[in-house]
Amino acid sequence: METASVTPDIDTTPETVQLLSGAQALMHSLVAEQVDTIFGYPGGAIMPVYDALYDFQDRINHILVRHEQGAGHAAQGYARMQGRAGVCLVTSGPGATNLVTPIADALIDSTPLVCIVGQVGKKLLGTDAFQEADVMGVTMPITKWNYQITTADEVPEIIARAFYIAQSGRPGPVLIDITKSAQLELMTQPYSYERCRTIISYRPRIVPKPEQVEAAAKLINGAKRPYILAGHGVQLAKAEDELRQFAEKTGIPVATTLLGQSTISTDHPLYVGWLGMHGNYGPNVLTDEADVIIAIGMRFDDRVTGDASKYIKQAKVIHIEIDPSEIDKIIKADAPVVGDAKEALKALLKLVHPNDHTVWRNEFRKYDAIENETITVPSLSGESEKIQMGEVIDLLSKKTNGEAVLVTDVGQHQMMASRYYQFRRPNSLVTSGGMGTMGFALPAAFGTKVGAPDRTVVAIIGDGCFQMTLQELGTIVQNKQPVKAIILNNNFLGMVRQWQQLFHERRYSFVELQNPDFITIAKGFGMDGHTCSERETLSESLDRMLAHDGPYLLEVIVEKEENVFPMVPAGTSVSQIRLT
Amino acid sequence: MTTYTICVFTSNTIGLLNRITIIFTRRRINIESLTVSETERKGVSRFTIVIKHESREEVEKLVRQIRKIVEVMAVFGYLNDEIVYNEIAMFKISTPLGAKPLDVETINSKYKAWVVYWGLDYVVVEKTGTETDIFDFFAYIRQQHDILEFVRSGRVAVGKTEQGLVEYLPEAEWAYYL
Repeated sequence: METASVTPDIDTTPETVQLLSGAQALMHSLVAEQVDTIFGYPGGAIMPVYDALYDFQDRINHILVRHEQGAGHAAQGYARMQGRAGVCLVTSGPGATNLVTPIADALIDSTPLVCIVGQVGKKLLGTDAFQEADVMGVTMPITKWNYQITTADEVPEIIARAFYIAQSGRPGPVLIDITKSAQLELMTQPYSYERCRTIISYRPRIVPKPEQVEAAAKLINGAKRPYILAGHGVQLAKAEDELRQFAEKTGIPVATTLLGQSTISTDHPLYVGWLGMHGNYGPNVLTDEADVIIAIGMRFDDRVTGDASKYIKQAKVIHIEIDPSEIDKIIKADAPVVGDAKEALKALLKLVHPNDHTVWRNEFRKYDAIENETITVPSLSGESEKIQMGEVIDLLSKKTNGEAVLVTDVGQHQMMASRYYQFRRPNSLVTSGGMGTMGFALPAAFGTKVGAPDRTVVAIIGDGCFQMTLQELGTIVQNKQPVKAIILNNNFLGMVRQWQQLFHERRYSFVELQNPDFITIAKGFGMDGHTCSERETLSESLDRMLAHDGPYLLEVIVEKEENVFPMVPAGTSVSQIRLT
Repeated sequence: MTTYTICVFTSNTIGLLNRITIIFTRRRINIESLTVSETERKGVSRFTIVIKHESREEVEKLVRQIRKIVEVMAVFGYLNDEIVYNEIAMFKISTPLGAKPLDVETINSKYKAWVVYWGLDYVVVEKTGTETDIFDFFAYIRQQHDILEFVRSGRVAVGKTEQGLVEYLPEAEWAYYL
């Protein structure tokens, strides 16, 4: 953490001291935190800040979204690429409540956000004033921290805290509710900014306790069938190299969670696949065979464990996790290691013995062969009448050499993208995991592209999801961000339809959509695109999309009633995984 | 059902009570009593929260989730035998002209309760003790008189450890009242 105080570029010599307004102080504070991009939407109660922002356009790129939810998801995509907080700026009342979904999404997926929200003047607080909502109350359960600023003097210190809290420990969203009166009034003292280094009541443990590391190493060194489950925490800690070194030294197979994907290259010999409801066959089933589970930066979500009461009962569990409240929450840990994944793996690496575990690793291959034969090969065979989702992803994977950043929405296409994309680079999947927020992908892909301008960003979106946030096409076009978006159109809310087929006797209850002409919509926004409905033109269609100079929408008409397998039906144990 | 007493030390900020109780609500745990006041250290609040729960594990998870709140400095969870605890109750007792006289001697010597206010046709009696002591006294009074109003403060507790709990708080330049 940087400790030096940051001097603003304003004259603070006593003779000519100029007192800043709260709004100006906010801008200087954001610059001091090296914020260069803000996703926002103006409105009444945040206008003084927007007025101050007018003078900061050379230092801060403000991106005007089309809906505050879009600002939130874009900031999430940006934060995931940059590894630091994404910043949103919105007005009070509906502006703030529209941010609720992204904030909840960011909390459960540990994404650092600083959301700055206007509020009515201090004198009007609690009076049901125009566009007043109790945003503090609303966001209390879904933020890592929130605070209401009511005086200009508080601004620098609170902004410093906001960034420190959002970005340190287990990252998460922070909301700052700032009254219009605090934005307008002048500070009573000269502005100065000091970055927050510590908060007395908040001290996330980064370096784990040596005795915890030793206990974990002892278990690992004695294990016959050890198994690494790597989660999002590995990526948040930027511990991809340490994970790989640790796995290579110990010869332990690595599976990832949904959000842990791309932390290890899919062609690495120790990578066995991903876990969860629609994860791979072997990685799920063999959790029941491992004798030591090494869970790193993951939280045993129910989509990973299935019935948690039957999950990894036979194994000793090492749980490496920065958030102590996750330890023993779902699965009892025999050896908890509280700390940052990078530091924990570095410490462990020194204590573990080199090993191979070839026999154990080969067991995964047996299951792979079965999964390949029953699911993967038929899905990619190109023998079905209509294009299957997997074919699109498989082809995209090959055409991008597995080096694009995929931004996926929520549903069948999300699972297919994870199944068939061969991730070769770290930090290459941005998806809404814990919250499962439909409508996430389009705005998040935009933010991802802003945060990673050098990378190819492809959004994989369902036809249902697309219609939740399609107005952000306008943001993409206005900002000339070359986001590539693929709609896998099956004319259904596919995942719900799949469940209705499998568990509700095909009683298709409100899952069929009468869709608009997506390409006409895109063109209306000034974005080029085309529809591909024949297998013969799929390859050429992807080429056209990828080669296009600028944003592009490709709609692929896919088979209407395709199902995602394998599947661990909700509430069953992972051993009850279904292949058909 | 086991009774647990949870002591939470926090910085004294607006809205924190809300943040803490949300965790109980999410986990559907009913709060039996809750008291908050500032400690001997300036700016540090102490919550004493009493709950009943079947599962020690669930209470441990609750404690860890409370600890996660940014403004929370420390959380301690206790069983009844690990603490010294008490609460105050006040009884507003009807004593109209001609009613049965108040047996002050029994109230004082047997129940260790005291009359703290004499009204025209009522008295207010204060009783300190555990929940059980208070309800024993309640039963006694109800047999003898009409109770016009009854209120309990909720539990306050100190641990039976050698050190005071504030000693476990993070080190800082604390300002003291003591």
